[in-house]
Amino acid sequence: MLQGAIAGLAIGGVYAIIAVCMTLMAQLVRVINFAQAGIGMFGAFLAASLAQSLRMPVPVGLLIGLVTGIALSVLIGLITQRWLPEASVSARSAVTVGALLLLVSLSFILFGTRPMTFAPIVSGTAFAVGGVVVSQVTIVMVALAALVSGGAWLLLAKTTVGTKLRAIADRPVAAELIGIPVTSLTIGVWAASGLIVTVVVMIVAPTQTSDATSLSMLVIPASAAALLGAFKRLGLALVGGLLLGVIQGAVSQLPELMLVRDWIPLVLIVLFLLWNQRKEVWDAAR
Amino acid sequence: MSALELQGVTVSRGAGPVISDVSLSVASGAVTAIVGPNGAGKTSLLESISGIVRPSAGTISLDGEDLTRAARGKRARAGIVHVEQGRAIFPSLTVRENLALTARTQAGIDEVLAMFPELEKRLSSPSALLSGGEQQMVVLGRAFAAKPKILLIDEMSLGLAPVVFLRLLPIVSHIASTGVGVLLVEQFAHLALGIAQDALVVSSGRVSYSGPAAPLAGDEAKLRSAYLG
Amino acid sequence: MPRASHPVTDAVPVAPAPRPALRGPSRVWVPAAVGVAGILVGVVVSLVLPSSLTFLAITSVIAMISLIGLGIVTGTAGMIVLSQLTFAAVGAWIVAWFNQIGVPGGFLLHLVVGALAAGAAGLLLGLPALRLRGVNLAVVTLGFAAAADLTLGKTQFPGTAAGLRIPRPAPFADDRGYFVLAVVVLVAVAVTVHYLQRSRLGSSWRAVAFSERGTAAVGSDVRTAKLTAFAVSAMIAGVAGGLIAGQVGTPQATSFTTLQSLALYVLSIVSGAHLIEMAVFGGILWVLIPELLKRFGVPQDWGFVIFGVLGIQALTTGSNLGQDIRGAIAKRRRRRSPAPESGLVPFTDAELGALGSVSVSHGEPVLELQDVSVSFGHVKALQHVDLVLRAGEIRGLIGPNGAGKSTLVDAVSGFLPQHDGAVSLAGSPLAGLAPDRRARLGLRRTFQQDRVPPSLTVGDYVRFVAHGGASEAEIASALEFFGCPPASARIADVDVGTRRVVEVAANLLAKPRVLVLDEPAAGLSHDEHIAFGQRLRRIPERFAAAVLIIEHDLDLVRAVCHSATVLNFGEVLATGTVDEVLANPEVSKAYMGEAELL
Repeated sequence: MLQGAIAGLAIGGVYAIIAVCMTLMAQLVRVINFAQAGIGMFGAFLAASLAQSLRMPVPVGLLIGLVTGIALSVLIGLITQRWLPEASVSARSAVTVGALLLLVSLSFILFGTRPMTFAPIVSGTAFAVGGVVVSQVTIVMVALAALVSGGAWLLLAKTTVGTKLRAIADRPVAAELIGIPVTSLTIGVWAASGLIVTVVVMIVAPTQTSDATSLSMLVIPASAAALLGAFKRLGLALVGGLLLGVIQGAVSQLPELMLVRDWIPLVLIVLFLLWNQRKEVWDAAR
Repeated sequence: MSALELQGVTVSRGAGPVISDVSLSVASGAVTAIVGPNGAGKTSLLESISGIVRPSAGTISLDGEDLTRAARGKRARAGIVHVEQGRAIFPSLTVRENLALTARTQAGIDEVLAMFPELEKRLSSPSALLSGGEQQMVVLGRAFAAKPKILLIDEMSLGLAPVVFLRLLPIVSHIASTGVGVLLVEQFAHLALGIAQDALVVSSGRVSYSGPAAPLAGDEAKLRSAYLG
Repeated sequence: MPRASHPVTDAVPVAPAPRPALRGPSRVWVPAAVGVAGILVGVVVSLVLPSSLTFLAITSVIAMISLIGLGIVTGTAGMIVLSQLTFAAVGAWIVAWFNQIGVPGGFLLHLVVGALAAGAAGLLLGLPALRLRGVNLAVVTLGFAAAADLTLGKTQFPGTAAGLRIPRPAPFADDRGYFVLAVVVLVAVAVTVHYLQRSRLGSSWRAVAFSERGTAAVGSDVRTAKLTAFAVSAMIAGVAGGLIAGQVGTPQATSFTTLQSLALYVLSIVSGAHLIEMAVFGGILWVLIPELLKRFGVPQDWGFVIFGVLGIQALTTGSNLGQDIRGAIAKRRRRRSPAPESGLVPFTDAELGALGSVSVSHGEPVLELQDVSVSFGHVKALQHVDLVLRAGEIRGLIGPNGAGKSTLVDAVSGFLPQHDGAVSLAGSPLAGLAPDRRARLGLRRTFQQDRVPPSLTVGDYVRFVAHGGASEAEIASALEFFGCPPASARIADVDVGTRRVVEVAANLLAKPRVLVLDEPAAGLSHDEHIAFGQRLRRIPERFAAAVLIIEHDLDLVRAVCHSATVLNFGEVLATGTVDEVLANPEVSKAYMGEAELL
């Protein structure tokens, strides 16, 4: 079971990174981005497809996939900012649902419906301790998770850009009125999240069930992790993601609980929501 | 010498106009007080100048440049800064961070601290924890540090104890004296008129007086009829 | 004390504007008749349809049923639901299971049980997400759909391994017959939903989608409204799932995927599925678009791409096909018959004579505030406020902007659960009671912002607010008294100022002990101000309610109120008759800002 738990750290790192991105987007651009993982999926699939069908060198394919991931994210961001700048979080998030549908269907058309074969970027064992094997991917993912959440925290807390972003998160209109370039910074956040998620999916896809739907549905355990921090606290999103991965990994070692494993994210989502809503608050918007 | 010019500005909200046909001119270094009983008109007027809403009629220009249809960011960068009603501090930012958004340099922050020494020991506090008066100081200081040409101040007195409001009024005069044109919307007429050169009285969405502030400050009857009917 | 004639209220007689003729009540049996006609059409189609298209037609009808269900939550109640087909899978699962273990009763009974099971799943799933923003429900339903996808992929529907097929009921055994069955079920669902939408429940769904505060303030529990919408929607999905099980005989996971649920959600937004006719149209699109693509040799996945693009377009512009079509029809109707004139005009002398002079008498205290204080962090919004309102009294609550008037009303009506001091209604303490509970106990309030849902008719809204406390005759009489549009008028056609008058009339019809009005006359013209004041004066004698009015228009306060309480910086500055209070030099100083120099 320990082996399973350690193996689960890799996917836990993915959950954590996507959860951190979703938390940042919820706070800074007021969107729950249901297409977050789908964007990464599309970029990764494009890279793999270019390498496979067009025989492009793998690094070039990866670069094009990365740029595409960023561009898709920026496009959705531009659409949301242009037409729904002052709409509710729900209205803005609904647009990402449409985008998710689009991305998965488009990927079926362009890349086929069978699982894709990916050239692994990172692979192999890192080290083994007392019979427990730790893969390279696990190390990279956990490191990336720490890097992304730490980097995000540093950016927001210690830089001028971070202060401006936090101001936009607090009061977008007041920020505009003192000359902060709200639109540019908002699109910047979309671009950054697109970049990070595409990199992450590219690294983890070779080790996973790699069909378009499964990869896009990584957004769900990521949401469960983000809900631990109520879509506000980066540290809790990181912890939640890693923990969820570990729990899932441990549970998958027990064949009796095979079906249960799939329902753990939903159970956590329900629990965290019940916890988050225990205090009745009538905010002015309702 | 900058000048903010409004010609025939009307602002509508849903049912109909909340304020109609306003023409005024604000020169740099002068304070213009807009007084009158409560109603959405005065705030909507300021919002149309800073770009939160669009006027349904009329033109707004700064130094001859027509800003009637300009985006908010453009107006802010052109030099129009709006201190909104209700103290729009950024609650999760500290006092220093709030000021740093517009002050850019330590010198800028020092200038603000010279105006409001009380903020010195609160620089690292999250601004949500400040008292109402301190928050208003942060907002005013942040606006001043942006080096505006025109400063719009909306009901600064709201929710503030009288002693605090009295502390802030001379600061507004001081800001104007540095060459900023100030448009001061206040429901507390006498105090606002005390520091203004020009005045507008707005009631029921229309301008009932437009001219120098001094004669109006002495005209108790006119003010009373505007407020109490 | 007799009231001297007042120049503002007893106005110069004005010829009354022609009141729009009251339209008769909408005929209740029309939807049922349409339903019967629909079944007949279905039978005809089943006979005429080429056999190659019959199976597709069944799929289309089942999609229409799913969309009607989705339309309730996405269109009417404003929520995001991404698991409609998963609820359908619950229904299909029950039908397959009952068939496997041999539960008696036949297909139709199993279908009903499956629907109930799906509804129960909806209840369970909806509970965690209700107090928070609507987007949280999207997260839960997507989580549910994805988990179910994985489980269905690893297991099979009951009976599939043994090769059992789900038998269709005898008269509907072949595809044409099953098509007729599907149409009958569709009609049953559509008619039921239509009547639900017109009922109190449907009004509560629309109200909650527009404003949760407004819904609570009129005595309706927000959570119940959202939960019932969600559960009904899930139940309908369960019906659709059972039909799918009968259609294919051996249900497969591929009929119930997450991706299809997403596409169905998007389609419900694009078509405007809260309108039943648009749900029907959406069901046609569901099969038509992929079929057309197949005919042209285009991969069918482009169908979902098209849905995705249309969905984004509909979401960013906030409109949908249903709304566009109805909007066009309404515009043409408006061009033909102009909008009704405002009925709120000052009384003529004859009318005033008929009404008689206003009787003023004050009885026992109905609303008491004792030492109420509210702080928001450092800011003291209210400090030690005492206020007693007696039966039959009209009290003005006045004071400069920011003095705490709206905070007081929010605290009294239950929207600020944390406050010091006590509030009691006719002697009973209100501590700890939610806003909707206080409203049902007889404490009603209106809002400064417009919180009247435009998707209702005037009559439906009034009945919803009155909570069954008023007869049709009383409703018509109150609407006429306040010069409101007739009950059949759509609130969307009424201007905002008049909507707020409707809000006042509606709350009075609930026969409250106390009515708190927050700047009710804002948005009314000068004449309407005068007319409204005349109506307000007569509220205690006509509706037996005591009134507390926040007002800035001191003319209105002088004309209407018996007494006034002045708030300044969160404290009570003065209280007494209106004349006393307005003559108090402290009060005019407060308004105009002569602060004491400290």
